Amino acid sequence: MSHVRSLVRWSSLAGALTLALLTTAQPAFAAKPKKPDKDFILKEYQAASLALRRGDFASAKISLDSAITAIGGIVVDEAGAKKARSLWSDESAKLFIGEPYERVMAFYYRGILYWMDGEADNARACFRSAQFIDADVENKAYASDYVTLDYLDGLATAKLGGDGKDAYERAAKLTSAPLPALDAAGNTLVFVEFGQGPLKVAEGKNKELLKVVPGVSPITGAVVKLGDQAIPLAVLDDVNFQATTRGGRVMDHVLGNKAVFKESTGTVGDVALAGAATSLRLGGSSDLSAGLAIGGVLFKGASMLTKTKADTRAWDTLPGRVGFISVKLAPGEHAATVEFIDETGKPVVSRPVVIKVAAEQPDTVIFVSDRAS
Amino acid sequence: MNPPTYRNLALMAGAVATAFLAGCANQGVRNPSGVPVTEMKADERGFVAGTGIESQDLVTVTDKMARSILGIPEITNAKTTPRVVLEPIMNETRFPINKDIFLTRIRTQLNSKAAGRVRFLARENMRALEREQQLKQDGLVTASQDPNVVQFRGADYFLTGKLQGMSARTSQGLSDYILYSFQLIDAATSEIVWEDSAEIKKQGLEDAAYR
Repeated sequence: MSHVRSLVRWSSLAGALTLALLTTAQPAFAAKPKKPDKDFILKEYQAASLALRRGDFASAKISLDSAITAIGGIVVDEAGAKKARSLWSDESAKLFIGEPYERVMAFYYRGILYWMDGEADNARACFRSAQFIDADVENKAYASDYVTLDYLDGLATAKLGGDGKDAYERAAKLTSAPLPALDAAGNTLVFVEFGQGPLKVAEGKNKELLKVVPGVSPITGAVVKLGDQAIPLAVLDDVNFQATTRGGRVMDHVLGNKAVFKESTGTVGDVALAGAATSLRLGGSSDLSAGLAIGGVLFKGASMLTKTKADTRAWDTLPGRVGFISVKLAPGEHAATVEFIDETGKPVVSRPVVIKVAAEQPDTVIFVSDRAS
Repeated sequence: MNPPTYRNLALMAGAVATAFLAGCANQGVRNPSGVPVTEMKADERGFVAGTGIESQDLVTVTDKMARSILGIPEITNAKTTPRVVLEPIMNETRFPINKDIFLTRIRTQLNSKAAGRVRFLARENMRALEREQQLKQDGLVTASQDPNVVQFRGADYFLTGKLQGMSARTSQGLSDYILYSFQLIDAATSEIVWEDSAEIKKQGLEDAAYR
């Protein structure tokens, strides 16, 4: 009779524990309605990159607008985000919107395309939004520190008849490199990008630490060859640098706590199982041995079910660096070559471009990447 | 019950408590689910997805401007119906927008609710209008009036505007203030005969998973 009572007691206890764990794990196990692809923004980002490189700017606009519509607001009450914060899902369960450097690039590209369409004020709005996204960093020395964005803000303002000096001066303070003068008379804007952008890896014992790995490339600069002129581009921003200077995230704290839970439940499980084995070996109470064994298994199970991996999804087609130049050209067609050079000045990649300057159009905007697609 | 069973139960209870306490992965994170965006100092309150320019802002602002324009003496006391041309508005905010939508809505509001008190000139269609007039002058299409007499109206006023913003972002959230200002400018004298503005401020905090 006492064995039956003991069995009922332990079963109740194990049942209660299982119920408690399942209740906590509800988001992971509950049936959910079909939701939008949590990676759709990443796919739009990558599609936009590829479209820009092959000169399909209409497609790039569609992809970027789709992404910006989703990332432009504030993400609250997102089911995936709730899952990402829970113990039972990795961070990648959330809707991907990208780290700030990725969102900045989406706005940067859209700004170029707005400018291409003659909407310098909307282009400026994109550059301002991009710089704004970079404002929330741990080390304020790196807040809103994209030189190109402030410079282009100033240039757009000057072209719109305003005073771009404030933005220009902000840009000048952000770099020790020589900054091109604000040339509102320039009618051709050449944007270039080259190199490999950052990637992400998960480090730490439980893969809870997000680490950005800078891309490497032999290309260090770019030159526009126009007739007998070789015009060096102002390469003012390093996307790899920007990606690595954000500092800690609130989500790192969440992942850290999840890792602590995983470790502590694993340790408790180990101790309980070891205690059960010791108790059995020493001929201790069968109640104690069974209790420790069940508890140990449950704790080990909870530890194993805990997902701590940081989100390593990345916009992996981003460039390492971006450059820009504004020149004044006569109306008509101009055959030019953009040479991407290494540190010795030797061309690594050359891209021929035809610059068509219309007499009435305010600005001709050219986008050239070292990668064709 | 015998004493060892009590000990076992106490051990298990302690273990369960440890598991749940250790399980608070969001511990120490304020507002882990984020704070929904709240609209401040606006005529209408509703669910919004961001702190930028949204449809409810467009409606609020353009309704106010249309009402305001109709109240000015230059419109109400005009001896002849004033002709207005829309000039593109200037966007100085950090939000890329379809700028024409503000003036389009003001125009449609005025045309639908105050028919006849103010007329708008379709300058964006001038190319098509000039082509049509040329066809009439060339005798290729019929004309109800002498096509060689200029019928296109000149503007009495220009309606334009500007969107300006201030933004702030900290670990506590982000906030955006936008000032929408519109002007009616006398085409003959360059005087600003009417000006009005609306301002909207929004703030919010993202889910911790994105911070």
